[in-house]
Amino acid sequence: MLNTIEIIIKYREDFLIGLSVTIQMTIIIWIVGVTIGSILGILGTKYSRSIGLLSKIVSFLLGGIPVLVFLYWLHYPFQTILNIQIDGFYTTILTLSILNIFLVAEQVRNAVEQFPRDYIDSAEVCGFNSNEIIRKIQFPYILRQILPAIIFIQVVMMHSTLFASLISVDELFRIASRVNSEIYKPVEVYSTLAIFFLLITLPITGFAYWLRKRYAFIK
Amino acid sequence: MIKATNISKNFGSIKILKNIDIEINTSEITVIIGPSGSGKTTLLNCLSMLNTPDKGLIQIDGTRYNFPNAHAKIRKQFKYKGSQQVGIVFQNINLIPNWTNEENITKPLLKTNLFDKSELNNLIDIFKVKSILHKLPHQCSRGEQQRIAFIRAVMLHPKYLYLDEVTSALDPELISILFNYLIYLKSKGTGIIVVTHFLLFAQNLADKIVFINQGEILEQGTKDIMINPKTSQFKKFLMSLENVIITNNNIE
Repeated sequence: MLNTIEIIIKYREDFLIGLSVTIQMTIIIWIVGVTIGSILGILGTKYSRSIGLLSKIVSFLLGGIPVLVFLYWLHYPFQTILNIQIDGFYTTILTLSILNIFLVAEQVRNAVEQFPRDYIDSAEVCGFNSNEIIRKIQFPYILRQILPAIIFIQVVMMHSTLFASLISVDELFRIASRVNSEIYKPVEVYSTLAIFFLLITLPITGFAYWLRKRYAFIK
Repeated sequence: MIKATNISKNFGSIKILKNIDIEINTSEITVIIGPSGSGKTTLLNCLSMLNTPDKGLIQIDGTRYNFPNAHAKIRKQFKYKGSQQVGIVFQNINLIPNWTNEENITKPLLKTNLFDKSELNNLIDIFKVKSILHKLPHQCSRGEQQRIAFIRAVMLHPKYLYLDEVTSALDPELISILFNYLIYLKSKGTGIIVVTHFLLFAQNLADKIVFINQGEILEQGTKDIMINPKTSQFKKFLMSLENVIITNNNIE
């Protein structure tokens, strides 16, 4: 334990740089994925035969490709084909944002499509118009229903930023590997890494579990 | 008056309603009875225009909706214009699950000037729901949810009130309270249409009884039609209910 603390103190600047890169990538991936994914999900329900179908097909294909392969494909062959060079930091953001967008879109689309027709009838009979039904009934209901799943996706996205180390992005995992190669104390170094991630993700996953339990009655 | 003429409704190739003619008057209780799957709920949904009939004419207080030419989704009968034209208590109840019972009753009222606290308190007392107002619907029994749904509908002062199996989860005391309240609503001019399996409804409250079987109205009239049924299907239906009573007596 002491060794771990000593390592954190000694290499704090390196870890902070890595942590900062990881957090920057994560936040951008979260914002882009949740925003565009939600819009795509809603459009997918409205235009189910065009956008909805396309989104379903892309999600299906992306679901079958390992994240690392997708990242490598966008970092190497894709850039070679287009004769461009993009920094690994942005390639990671692009890759994970695309994944996040389609995963979130699928969640939103399913939730909107499966919203019980009975509640819409009930609200209409109570005199609510379409906008009021969306704002006062559908949106809060669907948000409560999908939020836990979307939060879990975001945690997975954060964990997936570790793959950026394989295309030379100085994020947390790459920093930890570099520190380990200097001092060769893998247990302490990777435990430090685990602690960083636990500190960030435990409250988030805890919140998701709480939400899931709290709103389990919404089927 | 709500007048439906020659109403038909199919789901796929299955004919649910066949050329239905029916009239619903204000200050009158109309009870629709019939076996399960006979089309009672579909008829109610078509009369309220929640489900669009495939063909036929529905007139609500003189406004004509001719199907299939009428707009696919007509909802102005539920809008508030001084009071509501049509209110419904659903068979599946359909309270909004993430609103408390109190919110389910009051939120629809907030956009109207119908929020009469004393009337609400009176209904809360009559139907004994004070202790469950703060609860969410899933935390309540079906009978409690049914009472909340009834209060929600009544508070909007509908001119025509549609009740679908509204007594299915109520105990005898509450059924009696409900009957009395329906008589009160009728005296205030509300036209009430009830879909039920519960023959006491027909026997005690109905001004008009409508017997529907396999999507067709076979008999309609005053309570007398239950004493002298003309069709074999209605006789059989009444006999089957009698058999349930006999069977229960035999068990005792």
